[in-house]
Amino acid sequence: MEESKEKNLVEIRKLLKELLVENLSLEDIRPEDIKDDEILFGEGLGLDSLDAVEIVVLLQRNFGLEVKDMKQGREIFYSVDTLARYIYENKKTT
Amino acid sequence: MKIVISGIGIISAAGFNLEQNLEAIKNGKRNGAPVSIFSTILPYPVFEVKSLPEKYAKEGMRTRSLAFAALKEALDDAGLQAPLSGFRTGVCLGTTVASQLNDISFYTEFRKSGSADLKPVDLFLKGNLAESVACSLNASGPSITVVNACSSGTDAIGIALSWLKAGFCDIAIAGGADEINRVPLCGFGSLGILSNSLCAPFDKNRSGLNLGEGAGILIIEREDFYIKRCGKPSLYLSGYGSFADAYHLTAPRPDGTGLESAIRKALSDAKVVPEDICFVNAHGTGTLDNDRVEGSVLSRVFGDKIKFLSTKGYTGHTLGGAGSIEAVYTAAALKEGWIPSNAGFECKDDDIPITPVTANTPINGCFAVSTSLAFGGNNAAIVIERA
Amino acid sequence: MYISGIGIVFTRGRGIDSFEKALKEGWREPSRTGLIPAYRVGPETLTDASLSKKIRRADRFSRMAVLSAVDAYGNSGITVNEREKLGIILATAFGPHTTTFSFLDDILDYGDANVSPTKFSNSVHNAAASYVSAILESRGPTVTLTQFKLAFQNALILAGSWIAEGRCDHVLCGCADELGMVMECACKMKLNIAKDGKINPFAFSDSPVSVPGEGSVFVMLSKEKGSNNYGKVGEISFSQNITRKPDLFVIDTDGMSAYETGYKDIINYDTVIAGYSPVFGSMLTGSAFNFAAAALMLKNQIAYKCIFQDNPFGAKLCVETSAKNLNEIYCIKICRPEIKTIVRLQK
Repeated sequence: MEESKEKNLVEIRKLLKELLVENLSLEDIRPEDIKDDEILFGEGLGLDSLDAVEIVVLLQRNFGLEVKDMKQGREIFYSVDTLARYIYENKKTT
Repeated sequence: MKIVISGIGIISAAGFNLEQNLEAIKNGKRNGAPVSIFSTILPYPVFEVKSLPEKYAKEGMRTRSLAFAALKEALDDAGLQAPLSGFRTGVCLGTTVASQLNDISFYTEFRKSGSADLKPVDLFLKGNLAESVACSLNASGPSITVVNACSSGTDAIGIALSWLKAGFCDIAIAGGADEINRVPLCGFGSLGILSNSLCAPFDKNRSGLNLGEGAGILIIEREDFYIKRCGKPSLYLSGYGSFADAYHLTAPRPDGTGLESAIRKALSDAKVVPEDICFVNAHGTGTLDNDRVEGSVLSRVFGDKIKFLSTKGYTGHTLGGAGSIEAVYTAAALKEGWIPSNAGFECKDDDIPITPVTANTPINGCFAVSTSLAFGGNNAAIVIERA
Repeated sequence: MYISGIGIVFTRGRGIDSFEKALKEGWREPSRTGLIPAYRVGPETLTDASLSKKIRRADRFSRMAVLSAVDAYGNSGITVNEREKLGIILATAFGPHTTTFSFLDDILDYGDANVSPTKFSNSVHNAAASYVSAILESRGPTVTLTQFKLAFQNALILAGSWIAEGRCDHVLCGCADELGMVMECACKMKLNIAKDGKINPFAFSDSPVSVPGEGSVFVMLSKEKGSNNYGKVGEISFSQNITRKPDLFVIDTDGMSAYETGYKDIINYDTVIAGYSPVFGSMLTGSAFNFAAAALMLKNQIAYKCIFQDNPFGAKLCVETSAKNLNEIYCIKICRPEIKTIVRLQK
């Protein structure tokens, strides 16, 4: 069980990094350059408020997830790792 | 040289003309409701102009129709009649929607077949706001459609002021117009700044803006020109300031220095000091960021006793029309001697040092300020003066 | 006001030197990659490593505007310390329409509640000016305006007003327009496209041919004369007659306006005529490119040769590139019989 969760998370993180680089037009950054626990906003990757709402759309389109409360969003959007965990726990099983 | 405001016209969700608008806001009427003029799954309330006056309803050109309705009232108020020949007339109008070819059915067809009936393109090419107004009036001066997003209406008025002072025209039509359109509705929705309920500018629990539609038009002219034409002026456009944030595409500069510079420049342009200002008609959209930044700038410039309000609770945010609709309200308030309550405000926000007016409030002073902040970091302010 | 710097992005590259080279070189075959022959700006022109982070989200339209504005500022050699005195005016006919249509794709493909906020933000006309202002840290008034007629002339008038009022010491004033898919289709259906790729600026025909182009030009206009001064912008007038003979006329004939027969009168002034639309393509904001050519000629005291097929009315044309004593150039655009705009440029 734990093993499959970890495997799942690894896959989600990889996909997320690809999606972030593509959807946020992160020039000069490759998906593998982003660390799992790197802070996404402000310091770290340096994303901003417009990137945040773009991530909301990205979650909706790719994982069927709705983030309605941006206050809750702040914790979820902390790093690739927190995002991946949120996706793992909430995504609709197909 | 002073610049006279000789005529004002307005159309918004609150009414088809100035009288209806003032009556509605005096009674605190708020017409926000889900979109009815096109179909969308988005549930956000908007402020629509119900049933456009027949005479101005032009196919596929809602923004223009709104502009022409307000233009007629403003020209009548100024005692002018088209064509405006025999002198140089400038036309400066702000918009957002009318500047874009965002006809969804045209584009759907184009996507399908790589080609489409070009009628919407023809309408678009004929529909440049300033050009079409200039053409209808036979205006021979400069003509500009300002597309500065949400500060377009205020900037348009300021630009017309600059033209008159520099002698590029004798009289100018200044203002702005916008319609509720599916494209910006979707866009603002995606930015997460539309409220699910009626907007509550400066309130602690504000949750975003409501889109609105309408137009506001000012006729402004050189004082000497006006005196010869009509006699004694009653209102002046006295100052304009506009400064950029140079910060971010969608977020306002947190310290508000761009807005502060714009207000201070408008005041110095009008040769007045903050103490001369009897009220401020704020941008006050009801978003978290805008109201926090604007509230703190207003308190910094004018102190904590300043009377201020946002009228967006009555009209919604009319984007390119907002600055000019608010300029019309500001001018009318100076003339009438009262300002309306800041609709939607209930609870003070600790992050905003000042509180807007919560009832219809008498004012007695000669100068008022109207402000606009925009996408892209534009900040603009004007000063209007009662003679 | 003085022209203290010029930046340009057009089909043959970026920077005033590329433009000068193109003016000397003459006609080049347009690209034939789309629906119509056109003077397109290649993707390699729109990348800039030094700005890549700041314009990561910017679309083609904004990139064209940013690069030409940044270059105009750099070309002036001036460092504006008082950033609140640096204004920006961007004039455009069609704005970032490719992004607008891409946003419509989002609405059609994903529904009203699932669209990209970044696309929306970039589809707004003033996004480009916002990038320029953020990159140059300019804090003065910033205006984006849209006109189909006389966009650049109106932008110049506004820049002049701001400088005269003391609102600005410098204004970066420019035009940008892009040629997207939908626009190409509209051009194909509505214009008389030159199949051989040759605009014929001096035919003064009532059904003139065009080869659409895209690009951006910014000029830095300053209250005081700068170290890289190109010349002085004199009076700008609408609907006035020409009462004095300049050394050169530069005209905006490019097949986009149906009223090119109106330029025939210019012949009567017995003055040399030039016009460079075949170098950058047909655009409603093409006046800005011709203005840049005129400024360059004043600075260099060189008249560049014109490219044309025929000269049915015997206009006195500039047929070779040579040194010429140029004190005054009039840039002329005629939209309707009664609207003849003259921008007077002086050495």
